[in-house]
Amino acid sequence: MNFWEYLANRHQQVLADAYQHASVVFQCMVMATLLGVLIGVVTYRSEWAGNLATTATATLLTIPALAMIGLLIPVVGLGVPPTVIALTLYGLLPIVRNAIVGLRGVDPSLVDAAEGIGMSRTARLARVELPLAWPPILTGIRVSTQMLMGIAAIAAYASGPGLGNLIFRGIASLGSENALNQVLAGTLGIIVLALLFDAAYVLIGRLTIPGGIRA
Amino acid sequence: MRASASGSSGPSDPSGPSGSSGPSGSSGFSGSPGAPGSSGASGASGASGSPGRRPEGGQGVEGRALREEGGGRPDGAEASPPPPAAKPPRVTWQKLTFRPAVLIALLLATWLWFEQADLDALTRNALSNGQVSKALWQHIELTVISTFFVLIIAIPLGILLTRRMFRRATPVAMALANMGQATPAIGLLALLVIWLGIGRRAALIGIIAYAVLPVLANTIAGLRANDPTLLEAARGIGMSPLGVLGRVELPLAVPLILAGVRTALVLNVGTATLATFGGGGGLGVLITTGITSQRMPVLVVGSVLTVALALLVDWLASLAELLLRPRGLEAGP
Repeated sequence: MNFWEYLANRHQQVLADAYQHASVVFQCMVMATLLGVLIGVVTYRSEWAGNLATTATATLLTIPALAMIGLLIPVVGLGVPPTVIALTLYGLLPIVRNAIVGLRGVDPSLVDAAEGIGMSRTARLARVELPLAWPPILTGIRVSTQMLMGIAAIAAYASGPGLGNLIFRGIASLGSENALNQVLAGTLGIIVLALLFDAAYVLIGRLTIPGGIRA
Repeated sequence: MRASASGSSGPSDPSGPSGSSGPSGSSGFSGSPGAPGSSGASGASGASGSPGRRPEGGQGVEGRALREEGGGRPDGAEASPPPPAAKPPRVTWQKLTFRPAVLIALLLATWLWFEQADLDALTRNALSNGQVSKALWQHIELTVISTFFVLIIAIPLGILLTRRMFRRATPVAMALANMGQATPAIGLLALLVIWLGIGRRAALIGIIAYAVLPVLANTIAGLRANDPTLLEAARGIGMSPLGVLGRVELPLAVPLILAGVRTALVLNVGTATLATFGGGGGLGVLITTGITSQRMPVLVVGSVLTVALALLVDWLASLAELLLRPRGLEAGP
């Protein structure tokens, strides 16, 4: 059975796995974005809190995904919970960092001007600083998503959802004629999903980055 | 920007790989490893206005490359206040001791937990006969060997790709690097195992293949970020191309290359946990045994040791980054 026959035969299962993969990554990214921007907003003003957040996220990023999942399993068990926690946590890191860098990079004179025309602190944040910091935050989101695609595949070993299951099934049945097809379907599926997400982010960037600061 | 360069994204950041001019390339990348932050500040100061906000994009080098910032922080802090007051020493006391202290505490806590845990036969079996130290040792071996190969492949290739005659190939290499990032490590490893058969060789090749592209991207970014006027000056005083490379370009790019070493090391510690799926051994063996046999102590030992090793390696690499950086590059502008 060659790869195309395999796909024709099993397309339902592959599509179901792909859907689950995309869905878990997407949901975790939404959570990570909200949390990440929130942490960025809370910490960027203070020198030490911002640096602490940056250092902490950088340190967490060095932890291998499999080890992180391994540490989560004794606490929350197998399946979806460790996957979601690990994905959200890893997804958070680039976003927090970029949010802090982006918010700190906003030209202070612009913030001053906003204050001068009588904007409240919240309005300044919502209408001046966050829109200006949005491009780097979006970049962080894209970096995170690519990373999560791969980490979600590993999480399948802890009975998580998604295309990683195909890869691990292939590894488990090494030597059988379908092993290659399964691994290939899982791997290519993840690459395709990553590219689709990336294209979506380009589109979101076009739609949401204010015209004035578009390069 | 690396991230954005992937796929079809060119438009969202024009300073992307298409930018052949020094400054645009450099600013696009400057965020990637903490180090270039400083070189970006001095070199590409002209461009750092609007693209100044782009550094974070650069960190895309690899999702993980962001971690460089951690190490880069202290010098970032020392460079950012415009009138640099008394410059802090390269290696601060806290930096030297904090991470190891945390690691020791972590290992101690695990050990204490073990003392009181009662282990069943299966667990004891999985952890006895020096199997833990064997896995740890295998893991270190995998990491060191793969890092060595990553560096001897990626750095010369990066130097080659930034020479005048190959400059056209640089965007291609960058685009490839971006595509490679979308490939899941576990899928790559599984394909190699199917292709080359189970064993350490397939695992090693997979680990190397996964880390070459980010390090290559780092090296290219570093060499391109060099201030073109310095190279011009070097050529102007009659240095040969080789002399420019050896005495100006490479020393200037040392911070970036060291950041690449760190990226490679940390990535490889992580990917090496997956070697177990290809029969390559390493600490991943303990983790997977723990998961499949539902023995939490085994799982915890494997995970804690992996985390400790990753943090230790990152810490050592960050020290190396601080100590080996050419002194002339420290002060910033």
